[in-house]
Amino acid sequence: MSTENGTPMILLEGVSKWFGDFQALNGVDLSIERQEVVVVCGPSGSGKSTMIRCVNRLEKHDAGRIVVDGIELSDDIRDIQEVRREVGMVFQQFNLFPHLSVLENITLAPRNVRRRPRAEAEEKAMALLERVQIPEQAHKYPLQLSGGQQQRAAIARALAMEPRIMLFDEPTSALDPEMIKEVLDVMTELAGSGMTMVVITHEMGFARAVANRMVFMADGEIVEEGTPEHFFTAPREERTKQFLAQIL
Amino acid sequence: MSAPPPIRRRSAGEWARANLFGSRLDTALTVLFTLLLAWVAYRLGRFVLVDARWEIVERNITNLLVGSFPRDQLSRLWAALFVLAAALGFGAGAFGAQRRREVAEGRAEALPRGGIRRLVPLFLLVAVLLWFSGTLEPALLVLGAFGVGYGFNLLGQRTPRRLERYVPLVVLAGVLAAFLVVAAFGGVGWNLWGGFLLTVFLAVAAILLSFPFGVLLALGRRSSLPAVRAVCVAYIELFRGVPLITILFMAFFMIGFFLPEGVDAPSLVTRAIIGFTLFTAAYVAEVVRGGLQSVPAVQVEAAQALGLSPFKTTTRIVLPQALRAVIPGLVGQFISLYKDTSLVFIIGLTELLAVAQNVTKQPDFLAQGLYVETLVFASFVYWTGSYWMSRESQRLERRLGLGER
Repeated sequence: MSTENGTPMILLEGVSKWFGDFQALNGVDLSIERQEVVVVCGPSGSGKSTMIRCVNRLEKHDAGRIVVDGIELSDDIRDIQEVRREVGMVFQQFNLFPHLSVLENITLAPRNVRRRPRAEAEEKAMALLERVQIPEQAHKYPLQLSGGQQQRAAIARALAMEPRIMLFDEPTSALDPEMIKEVLDVMTELAGSGMTMVVITHEMGFARAVANRMVFMADGEIVEEGTPEHFFTAPREERTKQFLAQIL
Repeated sequence: MSAPPPIRRRSAGEWARANLFGSRLDTALTVLFTLLLAWVAYRLGRFVLVDARWEIVERNITNLLVGSFPRDQLSRLWAALFVLAAALGFGAGAFGAQRRREVAEGRAEALPRGGIRRLVPLFLLVAVLLWFSGTLEPALLVLGAFGVGYGFNLLGQRTPRRLERYVPLVVLAGVLAAFLVVAAFGGVGWNLWGGFLLTVFLAVAAILLSFPFGVLLALGRRSSLPAVRAVCVAYIELFRGVPLITILFMAFFMIGFFLPEGVDAPSLVTRAIIGFTLFTAAYVAEVVRGGLQSVPAVQVEAAQALGLSPFKTTTRIVLPQALRAVIPGLVGQFISLYKDTSLVFIIGLTELLAVAQNVTKQPDFLAQGLYVETLVFASFVYWTGSYWMSRESQRLERRLGLGER
């Protein structure tokens, strides 16, 4: 884990979030270093998704502090846009834009947000499609692709903005079993390239192989964190043991 | 690889036995409706081909098409027709070539039923109009216009790739030029237009104005700003709650109240366009709102996560998906508007239907009961326009891949 200039890439301090009367996050503290790969797991409704959605302001936190790459998230739309440019996100349901071709999906944000010329954006997009190994799908529309191909296109779309952080919200949960590996391979390659990643997943094989740190959440709190070896072989907390017993 | 599905061919006789004469009830219904259809076809055919006295339409074909448009200026309309044919032919050629290239490169899917077949309703209309005109000159001019259109179509197909983005501008300039040929340089302003020309002008102008206005209203109704929302809701509910005739009357009587002193009151035609636009925009807004609701919220989240601004999110992600979901409803609204233009007779304008009524009162035809002939003619003209819009809408749906993408 490298810590250039000392500040963490993502810092959450006492972050709380309510949906009506339901408290989804309860004083979450988390610090993620540059180039770190953190895998978040926990039972459904534990606040994993809400936590990473707060990092790029898809949800607004009600209490606490969130600092992303030195920018504190406030109500200022400019700060929010700044953070969103730095943070790529991959969704469970891919959420590609169905009315645009795969290539247009990828070039949309670079052209409209980063103001890249069309030719440059398309060249970059093709390079990314090579990287996720679906260059032949460039001119197809999302719904003509398989689930695994769609998710890889979605990863390419996020990478096109050259983010410093990638958030993955259960990227393989909506995929058929035979397509999970192709997506995890892309993510493994990405982690190897030094990308800072926060991944919500229940793919424990991936977690063991790629994660620098495991975070276990329950009821809106971080219950336990540690290295994968420690987390899988000698968890401290009773709740962690119960959870691992169920999924392993 | 699996074998192709078995193909079972049925002869016409087998098909008829299965579908038309399957049971005694089927047989009875088949016979009954065949007789009914034959009778209707016979009566209609007999009226159109034998009984009808079409001379009322033949003698008034110019009145029906352009109303009281000054006869010494008719050449301007022909000139405008040539300019329009050139502009639209050029645009169709350029877009067609672009499309074919995308299909060849595998960037788009080929569409069945295109090209010249799209003009079938137009051909029908022109053929009937020429038949009624009965002279050679208009036929030659129309042939010339088609020739010019075809020539510019070929030219459009050769548009260099780097100039393709200017094609819509060129087409727009052409349409504008056609308008100027008629109206500018001592020409005939639209307050003097009548007949089918007025019908088309009212419909096109009101469609072009009400569409963007309606989209803005729909977006405003979903705005996070309470004041904007309230104004849009009030507008939509107000204008949807009032009959179109009332709005036309109000446009006739009330627009003067809202103008500052010293400004000339707009012409009747302008008032009618304002009335149609205000009315149709409210309906367009509700149709578009339905489309906006059909776009999943996660699409907005995905756009936000990429850093797209709210404006770009709306124009690039939400609106394109919303509008393609409501093409049938939108086109239905515009077909309604096209036919509703016939209501302007109540404020004293003479569009197609009003002319059709008026000519029955001419001395030569007075009290001879020739209403049916003119009404059938007017209906046919309205029908060709509506049918054309309907076909284009289906084509657009398929082209945008509604249901597949």
